[in-house]
Amino acid sequence: MEVDQTTDVNSGNGSPVIIDPDLDFIRIVDKQTGNPFKKCMQCGTCSATCEISPDDRPFPGKEMAWAVWGMKDRLLSDPDVWLCHQCNDCSERCPRTARPGDVLAAIRQVSIAHYSFPRFMGRWLREPQAILLLFGLPVLLLSIALAVKEPIEKALGIGQTVGDNIIYAYSSMFPHWLLISFFLLFTIIPLTIVIAGAVRFWKAMDRASPTKERKGFFPSLLATLDTIVSHNNFTKCKKATSRFWSHGLVFFGFIALCMVTLWIITARINPLIQGDFIYPFAFLSPWKILANLGGAALLAGCFWMMWERFFNSENINPGSYFDWVLIGTLALVVITGFVTEVLHYVRLDPHRHLIYFAHLVFVLGLLLYLPYSKFAHMIYRATAFLFAEYSGRSIRQSNGEVKQSVIQDESSKSGDK
Amino acid sequence: MNIRKMFRKMFGSQTGVITLIVITLIILFPVGYSVVSFFSAHTTTEDTQPFLEMPDPIYENCVKETEYMRYHHWELLRTVREEVVRHGKRGEIGLNKCRECHTSRERFCNQCHNATSLYPDCFGCHYYP
Repeated sequence: MEVDQTTDVNSGNGSPVIIDPDLDFIRIVDKQTGNPFKKCMQCGTCSATCEISPDDRPFPGKEMAWAVWGMKDRLLSDPDVWLCHQCNDCSERCPRTARPGDVLAAIRQVSIAHYSFPRFMGRWLREPQAILLLFGLPVLLLSIALAVKEPIEKALGIGQTVGDNIIYAYSSMFPHWLLISFFLLFTIIPLTIVIAGAVRFWKAMDRASPTKERKGFFPSLLATLDTIVSHNNFTKCKKATSRFWSHGLVFFGFIALCMVTLWIITARINPLIQGDFIYPFAFLSPWKILANLGGAALLAGCFWMMWERFFNSENINPGSYFDWVLIGTLALVVITGFVTEVLHYVRLDPHRHLIYFAHLVFVLGLLLYLPYSKFAHMIYRATAFLFAEYSGRSIRQSNGEVKQSVIQDESSKSGDK
Repeated sequence: MNIRKMFRKMFGSQTGVITLIVITLIILFPVGYSVVSFFSAHTTTEDTQPFLEMPDPIYENCVKETEYMRYHHWELLRTVREEVVRHGKRGEIGLNKCRECHTSRERFCNQCHNATSLYPDCFGCHYYP
């Protein structure tokens, strides 16, 4: 696709622009939204409705135009695509039912696939027929790890000598050294890929940004963290209000579980762990309590999201396959985790090892597809937030009160009819 | 600068701030607990007492090596139980044999079982000899 970058499409100064639409891109977006988004007539209702859109060059109106014209390059270097939280207030008001919210979700999906490598993995995550491959790969990798376990143990003479103060309930199948080295490897590789993708995304945004003024990096970082942690943007949605809670539960549950995981994998080098049995934790150990609370929050959030997608699809987009892979995997990770815990207490062999294996498969799936699945949104969205703040495109500059009053006037009018 | 004001400015509403602080405290509580218990354990000198009661030094080794016993003793006991109950084969290994070295269930067996919240149901009916 060739777009003359020297002229601004939005400037309206009459200078000629050659547009060569990327038809594949349009086809993918069309397929993912399941809705003919080309019906968009550029009325701008969506941009006017959006509560979190900045007043200057608001979204999603311009993104709709670019999507219809197949201007993939512009969309992939546009932070606004990621500022959208898909509350679908715009889709609700769209007079042509082009569903801009869903279109932006589809663009984000293309964006994730674009910035990750190898590319075919992006296709796996997009197409339901690849689901066996999707979970077959973690099964294969874990089986290989189990197969090489004994030869390596013999060669290095490590066995189960893990120190005096650690016992591992599930270690007879998956010893601690293997668990840590294996999962560390398959955390570092995807993390490297996704961070490389985020760096490319940042550079693309920097190149495409119409303003060249930049704010301080650390104030922007603080503001970004504030936006992410406080979930403020979710509260601005008019229709899909539940997502503030469901996403919050998943977010903080995930953080709690990450804390516990970090604590456990540092067991051998952690000076604070001494003298006592540290793992598996007793049920009333503070760490176990945090882990169980985090798991419960994560599961509740996932179920809430699923419930809304099933039974409240008027307000919340039922979601594409891409969307469901993440929610499903997360839910399965927590469910198999809880079952593993329960089977540990009831000492049911060999069932507990099977469930534990399934748990590891889903955890590995989650980690392995971090750069390709919707899970990558945590990196790309944070990058886009950071860039928006950094380039002075803060969401909170938006004069939300004015927009809200307009909407209230409108709704009171429609109520009169 | 007033911290409360700063927080309010950062997060918008006060309830939001309180919720965030509560969540942060919940997530950081185990770390704090670990730090506190680490330092309190150092002030009281319990280091001389081993976590597990050592067997009488006249006994040199167990029926299996320590590593195996640490992780799989219950598998061994279960196998022995199967042999006695189902096949009527009473071998040398049994709780009686354990009792010779590890005299106290409280000071030996239950130390680990309690630490990992495991409560074997054997001893609900059977007594530790």
